[in-house]
Amino acid sequence: MSVAELEAAEVQLEAPSGLWRDAFHRLVRNPGAIAGFVFVLVFAIAAIFAPLIATHDPVEQNLLLVANGCCPGPSGDHWFGVDLLGRDLFSRIVYGARYSLLIGVVSVSIGFSVGLVLGAIAGYVGGVVDSAIMRLMDVMLAIPGLLLAIGIVAALGPGLKEVMIAVGLANVPIFARLLRGSVLAQREADFVVAARAVGVRRPTILFSHILPNAISPVIVQGTLAMATAIIDVAGLGFLGIGLQNPDETPEWGSMLTEVNEYLQTAPFLALIPGTAIVVSVLGFNLIGDGLREALDPKLRGR
Amino acid sequence: MLRFVVRRLLLLVPILVGLSILVFVWVRALPGSPADSLLGERSTPALVKEYEERFGLDEPIYVQYWRYVKTTASFDFGVSSATHRYVTDEIKERFPATVELALAAMLFSVLLGVPLGFLAAKWHGGIFDQASLFVSLIGVSIPVFFLAILLKYLFAVRLGWLPTVGRIDVTSEAKHPTNFYILDAIVTHDLGTLKDVLKHLILPGIALGSIPLAIITRITRAAVLDVQNEDYVRTARAKGLPPLTVDRRHVLRNALLPISTIIGLQTGLLLSGAILTETVFAFPGMGSWLREAIFNRDYPVLQGGILFLALIFVLVNLVVDISYAIINPRIRYS
Repeated sequence: MSVAELEAAEVQLEAPSGLWRDAFHRLVRNPGAIAGFVFVLVFAIAAIFAPLIATHDPVEQNLLLVANGCCPGPSGDHWFGVDLLGRDLFSRIVYGARYSLLIGVVSVSIGFSVGLVLGAIAGYVGGVVDSAIMRLMDVMLAIPGLLLAIGIVAALGPGLKEVMIAVGLANVPIFARLLRGSVLAQREADFVVAARAVGVRRPTILFSHILPNAISPVIVQGTLAMATAIIDVAGLGFLGIGLQNPDETPEWGSMLTEVNEYLQTAPFLALIPGTAIVVSVLGFNLIGDGLREALDPKLRGR
Repeated sequence: MLRFVVRRLLLLVPILVGLSILVFVWVRALPGSPADSLLGERSTPALVKEYEERFGLDEPIYVQYWRYVKTTASFDFGVSSATHRYVTDEIKERFPATVELALAAMLFSVLLGVPLGFLAAKWHGGIFDQASLFVSLIGVSIPVFFLAILLKYLFAVRLGWLPTVGRIDVTSEAKHPTNFYILDAIVTHDLGTLKDVLKHLILPGIALGSIPLAIITRITRAAVLDVQNEDYVRTARAKGLPPLTVDRRHVLRNALLPISTIIGLQTGLLLSGAILTETVFAFPGMGSWLREAIFNRDYPVLQGGILFLALIFVLVNLVVDISYAIINPRIRYS
């Protein structure tokens, strides 16, 4: 070993730098990702502290406000104006963040965990099990995502839990495929062969050696899936499918349903909830792109 | 090549079998008995019994499945419980509308996305490049139905340039033997109708094409950046070929390969997006039809419609895979 190499080894010993630490440093230096974090943070705060932030009751109607035609726009008392039934739009948007973020997080977690288990098993066990699982995933992928979610909601009936399951299940095949590919790539890696050679049990190899190394593309996909989940939930809401009382519930997508006729007189009724959806989705997309670059610096600027 | 096509066709069999089982199980998982679901609101105990006997719903499940496969294979999806018309007949009316809409969206996204992505890569790092990245980021973040509402507000409601709803002017008396309005108008040399139909396609086409546009721009940009540094491109430049020829023959031709796969994958997105876009523009295609079916609990339509769309999606991807293998010989032998 040359002197230079010895020195290099020493430097490395002093500052141990792992994949995640490096990735974190790259992530915080990416302005896009920071903007994404800010957007998501704003919505997370709105969702968690909705009762404190909202200025009015989101479902309380005040028909007097719309007595002179629809609808009074933004004012000091109603920051975002009021909707067709005189409900305060600002408060509805704040409460709406709860639905989007809650459904998004839970449904992606469902898709992630079911997909993780199926994909890991398929990739690691291989053979007939692999074929059976992956053909089932192919069939699910053959049905366009929103249509699959609609079908699942139709079978389960409307409701918050049902929408989460529907959007979550529609995500399963994507995660399962990704993880299987990742696990397959790791299966013959030296450290796995070494673990097998010293007699580590199969489940331990899968969970402590393969999965931690196969997970990074899945985390990126998870962030991007949050974005898609919010769009899908809004889409279901817009179509009036899913939640039990679409007129009552302050859900962003369903707020856009009834404004069609009022575009001429009150375009803000469509613009404000729509912008809320775009900004929150943009936030997750920015974080996802940032993570992808951080975990795989070769992709920078691609 | 033949071996590749045959292998690819054989792969279809398990998917189709799985799909038919999935939809079969799904109909039985719907609230109420299958007879209830298929009868919809007309359901009464007597009718249900008669129906169960007539359609053999009291027979063993594998007999039912086999019968279901046979009828479905002959494209018999039953009768709509809302309109009492054959589901197949309604598909014949609705599907051409969605095909025209999807083609308009695809055309818009490819014709705009490929040049945009190419130029962004050419001027890598410049303002145009940054702008294209930003716009495509917005493109994948905006829900289709919100963009549709915005376009409708701006160009139809505010400026009044384009129609707000439908597929053709309501006063039109043009005949549509194939239900492909564009095709029919061209065959009958009816320029007025053609113009009218195209006008109705612009806004929904742009709305539906926005996500594919964003994705195609990004993919083209990345592909061109990759290809630009290949040895054969450097060789072509070094031997003094005009820059335009290098771009056309060496860079773009190779960069287009990944784009063809994306087009296949986008079909699913287009079909999903069509449900939302068609709803905003009251466009009488498969999407708005399925949405009505959900509200009417019209299970024969949902069953037939979902199965049909899934089939189309699978077939489009088959065609894309095969044409990809024709363009790119490397795939065939791997």
